[in-house]
Amino acid sequence: MRALHSESPAWCPGCGNFSILPTLDEAIEEVGLDRRRLVLVSGIGQAAKLPHYTRANVFNGLHGRALPPATAIKLVNHELEVVVTSGDGDMYGEGGNHFIHAIRRNIGVKCFVHNNQVYGLTKGQASPTSDPGMETPIQTHGVMAQPFNPLAVAIVEGASFVARSCAVTRDHLKEMMVAALKHDGGFTLLDILQPCPSFNKRNTAKWYKERVKPIADDHDPTDMHAALDLAMTWGDQIPIGILYRNERPPFESLWPALEKGPLVEQYSG
Amino acid sequence: MDLNIRIAGEAGQGIKTTGHLLVDVFASMGLWVFSTQSYMSRIRGGLNWQDVRVADYRITSSRDQADLLVALTEEALETLRAEVAEDGLILYDGDEAQDAVAINFTKTAKDEGGSAIMANSVAGGAIFTILGYDIKPLIGYLDEAFHAKGVEVVKTNAALVRRGAELASDLQGRLPAPQPSDAPPQVYDGTEATALSAAVSGVKFIAAYPMTPSTGVFTWLAKNMEKYGIIAEQAEDEIAAINMICGATYAGVPAIVTTSGGGLALMSEGLSLAGMHELPAVVMLGQRPGPATGLPTRTAQGDLLFALRTGHGEFPRALFAPGSPRQCLELMRRALETAHKFQTPVIYMMDQYLADLRLNEEERDETPRPIDRQIVTDAGGDYRRYEITDSGVSPRAIPSGDAFVVLDSDEHDEEGHITENLEIAQAMMDKRMRKIDGMIAEALPPEAYRDDEGAGTLLICWGSTYLPCREAVDILRMNGHNASMLHFGQIWPLNRDAVREAIGSRERVISVEGNAWGQFACVLREQGLIGEVELLTRYDGLPFTAEEIVARVEG
Repeated sequence: MRALHSESPAWCPGCGNFSILPTLDEAIEEVGLDRRRLVLVSGIGQAAKLPHYTRANVFNGLHGRALPPATAIKLVNHELEVVVTSGDGDMYGEGGNHFIHAIRRNIGVKCFVHNNQVYGLTKGQASPTSDPGMETPIQTHGVMAQPFNPLAVAIVEGASFVARSCAVTRDHLKEMMVAALKHDGGFTLLDILQPCPSFNKRNTAKWYKERVKPIADDHDPTDMHAALDLAMTWGDQIPIGILYRNERPPFESLWPALEKGPLVEQYSG
Repeated sequence: MDLNIRIAGEAGQGIKTTGHLLVDVFASMGLWVFSTQSYMSRIRGGLNWQDVRVADYRITSSRDQADLLVALTEEALETLRAEVAEDGLILYDGDEAQDAVAINFTKTAKDEGGSAIMANSVAGGAIFTILGYDIKPLIGYLDEAFHAKGVEVVKTNAALVRRGAELASDLQGRLPAPQPSDAPPQVYDGTEATALSAAVSGVKFIAAYPMTPSTGVFTWLAKNMEKYGIIAEQAEDEIAAINMICGATYAGVPAIVTTSGGGLALMSEGLSLAGMHELPAVVMLGQRPGPATGLPTRTAQGDLLFALRTGHGEFPRALFAPGSPRQCLELMRRALETAHKFQTPVIYMMDQYLADLRLNEEERDETPRPIDRQIVTDAGGDYRRYEITDSGVSPRAIPSGDAFVVLDSDEHDEEGHITENLEIAQAMMDKRMRKIDGMIAEALPPEAYRDDEGAGTLLICWGSTYLPCREAVDILRMNGHNASMLHFGQIWPLNRDAVREAIGSRERVISVEGNAWGQFACVLREQGLIGEVELLTRYDGLPFTAEEIVARVEG
């Protein structure tokens, strides 16, 4: 396959996606994933364009709707590695309901959310994770709603793996991507804080760099309350690393129809 | 001759169970049966009834009047009394009632050592006696049905049937009933036929959000998951459901969603996605009256134009609308085959009436015969998912082979990658549109019924109006009219030449439809296949009966 567009991603100069894309490629190589068994699923948004710029099977669907097809792909062929690349608007806004229920199911997909706290594709409106008070062309008096906390929601709902990293700390990001890809379990959330130099003038690369701080080594990720404390920490310090792990069996391991192997391989016709 | 039994009461009183019991036993005796249910949208409470019509000839419609009303509540007695035939009879489950025979089924069941649930055995015994039928087949049926529950249950049920017969002994043979003939003993309904067809045709994945009257198909597939190796997942909403089956078909298995009109509205964008991705998504649409929540438990054919148009942009689709359980078996398979052959979404339309009606059908083949998914297994490194072809159909590979399979909801190039190149965009639209030519070439022609003489009066119908229209044609011809019927099981795309020829030149053309606008007539007119036609419509939530169609045609 020719990587037709890999030379010219349609992102603004300085976009955090320019560091996320090569980091993902490096992580895929480091884990030794067979790209022909890798499916990248995305919705719509700047982050959701990423699958076009790398080599893999691709299901680029509708805005907010990455998780339902990803869930079904994993159920039909659980030997595929299904990675969702999404943004804060796509995953936490338009797709919020699917986010809740995919975690409840604990489907074994890897969900990488590029969280730049703003809408990029539609030019600078507030996202569900925008800081209160942020002024935009729509939120002219500043954002009035409280930000959505994806990590806390994922922990409370019993996601299998919950982590956060940042596009400006590439080594850490790669470490987290590798850990997420290696995680053999259910729903895996990696929230990736990411600057948007075009539309988010508050949460800049510098802003993130000054605040993100790796989680202490003595944190026990199986301790839900400790994980929630970290998830609720935001402001002068933003913890990055693996917040939470849960041994709950993945959704795809519970279906009688899959005991004989992947559903797709049972089809004779 | 034929006879109509109406069992009415509150939800939760086992009306459906009693109705099914009668239908199954009558069919096992070689009688022709036809049953429909009517109920209010309540889990418990509210007036519900089940009509069981029994005959010594093939019947395909319900009747307005009941010959025997079995009223389980006072409300049922008073509400439905007026719809009892002049020489009919009312049986009331209570101690006394005016102009009705009172037999307390529930009290009798309890007094004789049974439970309230066994009241239908008492009622069965009484009904059989009133119709002059031997109670042995009834006892035999219950024997088999409750065998697993133990000897005591079987014995009690048999005793209760006998007790019911005894209580009605004064009325032995009071209502002359049809004698058994050569009717097939199997009884099917539209729901079961649809679900079974999906399972044997190879559907491996169903995602749905429950919505009356489509839930039965979803439930049947969930119940038979292990037998057929199916995953049945209850989605968080209809948007998730349609997007899930897009994912499931991409990954390589036939998949369907079940829904009703409101759910289809939520699926609109996902349907368009299946059109753009060129995925064989099949939507089973159970219609009920709208707009909005409408009449949730009633029937309608009001979503034809919606099903034909829903989804933004232009993309090919096919619409099928079976008219009987037999056609459900055939057309669900056809829907899946069409979707896979042309890699495009297909909507299979039913309604509450067809979902619930039960009648005798010839024995069906339940052996799995998975459809050909029409996928390529030898795609290599140079594979292009959207290769431009003459037919518009590109080779479809699934992920996990040697080829990368790339789908984009944006307009894309042959490899599936996003493009802003307008020449490519035009070529892709043209490629998708070319698939319609192939679909038209394979479109099912309408089925003509008793159309041997031409001219005369032609009843045009589609979907579930098939059975009542068929019977209406029989009655009209008995009454001396040159009437015939043209039924459309495939309503889109149409093979215009075939349709034009089938309609021919008539004295009267009447479109019989369960909606207010005559939506199928609109489609035929838009296609230049008919001019002004008479509309015979009904949109009060109830199905047509043959009697009603005849009366309105004879005007």
